[in-house]
Amino acid sequence: MTTQTDSKANISQWLMVFWRSAAVPLVAVILALLVGAIILLISGANPLAAYSALAKGAFGTPIAFGRTLEKATPLILGGLAVAFAFKGGLFNIGGQGQLLVGAIVAAAVGFGIDGLPFIIHMPLALLVGSLAGAVYGAIPGALKAYTGAHEVITTIMLNFIAINLTDFMANGPWKDEGIVARTPAIAEAAAIPTWGNIPIGFFFAVVAALATWYLLYRTTIGYEIRTVGFNSNAAKYAGIGVSYTIILTMAISGFLAGMGGAIETLGVVGRYQPGFNAGLGFDGITIALLARTNPIGVIPAALLVGAMQAGSSQMQFDANVPFQIIDVIQALILFFVSADMIVRWIIRVKPEEGEQVTLSTSWG
Amino acid sequence: MTTAAVPKARSRGDYAKIIGLIFGVLVLIGIIYGYITNPVTTTAVLASTLRQSTPLVLGALCGLIGERSGVINIGIEGQMLMAAFIAFLANVYTGNLFVAVLAGFATGAVLGAFLAFMSVTLKMDQIIGGTVINILALGLTSFFYQTGLTTQGKMQPIPLGPLADIPLIGPIFFDNPPITYTTLILVMLVHYVLFYTRWGLRTRAVGEHPSAADTVGINVFKIRYINVIIGGGIAGLAGAYLTLEAVGSFERAMTNGRGFVALAVMIFGKYTPFGAWGAALLFGFATALQTQLQFAGQLEIPHQFIGMLPYLLTIIVLAGFVGRTRVPSAVGKPYEKE
Amino acid sequence: MRYTRIWLITVIFFTALVLAACGGAAEQAPAEEEAPAEEAAAEEEAPAEEAAEEAAAEEEAPAEEASADEGDCSSEEVFCVGLVTDVGEIDDKSFNQSAWEGVQIASEAGAQVDYIETGDAKDYTANIELFAQNGYDVIVTVGFALGEATAQAAATYPDIDFIGVDQFQGETIPNLTGLLFPEDQAGFMAGALAAQLSESGTIAAVLGTDLVPPVVAFKEGYEAGALYMNPDINLISTYHPGGLDVAFTDPEWGASTAKQAIDQGADVVFGAGGKTGNGALIEVAGNEGVFCIGVDSDQWETVPEAHSCLVSSAMKLITPGVGELIGMSNAGEFPGGNFIGDVGLAPFHDFDSEVSDEIKSSLDEINAGLMDGTIETGYNPG
Repeated sequence: MTTQTDSKANISQWLMVFWRSAAVPLVAVILALLVGAIILLISGANPLAAYSALAKGAFGTPIAFGRTLEKATPLILGGLAVAFAFKGGLFNIGGQGQLLVGAIVAAAVGFGIDGLPFIIHMPLALLVGSLAGAVYGAIPGALKAYTGAHEVITTIMLNFIAINLTDFMANGPWKDEGIVARTPAIAEAAAIPTWGNIPIGFFFAVVAALATWYLLYRTTIGYEIRTVGFNSNAAKYAGIGVSYTIILTMAISGFLAGMGGAIETLGVVGRYQPGFNAGLGFDGITIALLARTNPIGVIPAALLVGAMQAGSSQMQFDANVPFQIIDVIQALILFFVSADMIVRWIIRVKPEEGEQVTLSTSWG
Repeated sequence: MTTAAVPKARSRGDYAKIIGLIFGVLVLIGIIYGYITNPVTTTAVLASTLRQSTPLVLGALCGLIGERSGVINIGIEGQMLMAAFIAFLANVYTGNLFVAVLAGFATGAVLGAFLAFMSVTLKMDQIIGGTVINILALGLTSFFYQTGLTTQGKMQPIPLGPLADIPLIGPIFFDNPPITYTTLILVMLVHYVLFYTRWGLRTRAVGEHPSAADTVGINVFKIRYINVIIGGGIAGLAGAYLTLEAVGSFERAMTNGRGFVALAVMIFGKYTPFGAWGAALLFGFATALQTQLQFAGQLEIPHQFIGMLPYLLTIIVLAGFVGRTRVPSAVGKPYEKE
Repeated sequence: MRYTRIWLITVIFFTALVLAACGGAAEQAPAEEEAPAEEAAAEEEAPAEEAAEEAAAEEEAPAEEASADEGDCSSEEVFCVGLVTDVGEIDDKSFNQSAWEGVQIASEAGAQVDYIETGDAKDYTANIELFAQNGYDVIVTVGFALGEATAQAAATYPDIDFIGVDQFQGETIPNLTGLLFPEDQAGFMAGALAAQLSESGTIAAVLGTDLVPPVVAFKEGYEAGALYMNPDINLISTYHPGGLDVAFTDPEWGASTAKQAIDQGADVVFGAGGKTGNGALIEVAGNEGVFCIGVDSDQWETVPEAHSCLVSSAMKLITPGVGELIGMSNAGEFPGGNFIGDVGLAPFHDFDSEVSDEIKSSLDEINAGLMDGTIETGYNPG
């Protein structure tokens, strides 16, 4: 595809490629913001003031920008967990439960051990938390592989169980002194630091995204996982251990979600406290869908949603717009990104061959 | 079919049936024993079981009507929530509960039409379509929620004459508010329509093998649209149940994941109305039981472990002998006319 | 058509350029063909252009920028009060709303007031910062969960007075006052009332979650009060089985649970758990001969659907408490440490005639006993 002779042609070609891949999401976001603006107008607010306050709260200052990255971190990992399971033909609604388990176990390692140097303690807490998520994710995988119990049901049920389990631990055996239900603060050596305003945890999430992509597309295991996801019968005939692969897929998915929880504990909250991780796992579903289950695409999708979450307080303060409008805009973006027929009809860009996403085949 | 496969398949099926039968008999014995030793509590728990199961059955019926025709609906939660909101507003502004129920049904149906538009016409991924509805409903209802709106109250139970006086069964089944009755009728109605009418046959054909259905002259798009819209209406009824019958007012995010549990109930019930009903009753029973165990207060275990009961029980039953669920084979796939 | 397309490309490239100039966020990711949302993320920044330019200049002095909007919180003459809610809404018919009404008392006295609703518990600090950096004089934070964030902010901003509702102060910070309530005493009164009203001998409580200390205090007090009046009373009470994010917003569970309690003979139901408890109250209202008792504020005002059963409410008087503390701050007499607010039973309203004089006098006795310490609720938080 390279034309060395004519650099102008090269640029315009590059622009066309860029345009083709970026046009739909860009226009989708613009359309979503426009529809959001109409809703804001109906409710009597000033959309311009609202949006500029939102942007200011997300990117206006170095602190704000740091908060956007902080918000994006668990979203990236939660999104990866869902996207990864999708590639293996599984719908992991259990990200929330896996994340909670990861968060509280990381906290336990963080406050339970004293005197380790940072270089050991922090990675240990992060790893053990993630592994706890992996174990919790492997349960529905094993149930699916050996009994055929559908992962959608078991992961939903395990979400509820995880809430009860973590509430019990935080208000029981692992409770801090005092009346508040929460674990003690983690040791300083277990905390994930920030670099200026930039939370280091964000880079862990980015590395996880790259690693997930590599695992899926450049390794044998990844190939097997995708094959099982595409057609488990064919995979069986090809000699792939389907049961093993299902469990592995769910374990890795749980690992990613658990890591999201662990980073929240070690890098943001500093302890485990019930209610501080609410909803993160469910946001992961949105992120994965927004990124069309592409592990790299998860990063910008999470940044977009993270920016809106980070900016919502500023929007309330400056423009008196309730933060719930964020959900509406998020849904609209998801709609317009996915309903690319509408967008393509407006801007008249032809779809690339095979670009239409189908993940629902994984349902059965 | 090989001779080796037949006995194996049969024994596995028999095994499940026997366990199911034993389980059923045990439940029955438990209920009768409970009724003899403590009739008041037993009746209270079972009545609560039915109440807790109502939104779940309705949600599951919504899901299975759609999926039988090949359209996944994970937007049940959003359909319920939006319908709950609109039904509440209709009740506030008209003061007429019947109009409010209709408004709830219509809201669900409109969202059903939106889902059908996304998944059938736009051929969008169906899980994305459902997720759009979920987030949109949460955002819109929370954003437009107003305080200070109050209603005249909620729908009250209508005892069905002498039927309501039958011991045990009467207070549980024949002394309920209207949407609960409607739900019981809908379970039977959907079962009949799905398995004994031409429409049901067509629905299942479209859900299993749309191109074959198309070649014999069935309009795949039309069937899917209508099923998803009616399903949405039933989910809307579940929303109306929440605001008009169970609570009497609307609160933000008041569905609290019931739409997702309904999804689980649908799969648990193997995509059949009576299966879904049974699964929802089991779930409702476990919830009522955990409340009762807390009421009794004699157990020396932390209440969180009692709180896990419904979910653990579901997993155990599911993994134990319900096993694999056969999903309609065309579900999730947009149909392209050839 | 061609023109539309070119026009759109121009617009989009323009925004992309602006973005790049701002030193955009998401550029690092490789230009993967299948990473479409990447630019979407960047696009979000588009409206940031102006704000970002401004912000670059003023990030060291954010207070100035506020004076452009609101006017004058940083100036000496204007008294500004900000409120940060716990996760939930300002109009929650519960503690957020009560605290906000307290702030509005200050508003009537000429203060400039504003609130921020918290959507995510991790935003507590950021939301407090918004007020602090804009020169607010008093910041009210509602709920024990904000305790840590509030204490940190109080240390950072010694010139601002902080009021922490339901936040116990272990050590005294002069510019931070924890507004606390002996909820167990309010619960005790409610329990004593319930035990005397009950004819069946069974009374119930439908509660939020035991993760929230005030709910536990209400429950323990309620049970102790009931047993104090009638040692043989049958108490059935239950916490919501869900997590913090649903325990207070599940009216359907509240209603179902109340019904289950009524079906087994309970004739007084105490609903203590935000909207979950309100669901229980409304359910009770549909049952003849059963009383309900509300919580936190006088729920006669907040849940009119429950008028037919609502005999009273176990109140913690957040509104006057917050109002009083703001007044003290304005007068330069901010106490610091812990400030104990008032609790008590709400008026009986329509049930005034049904509550016998005997019951009323016994409640007065109990109230006096609780005040002078001759009666103890037995609730002792770990």
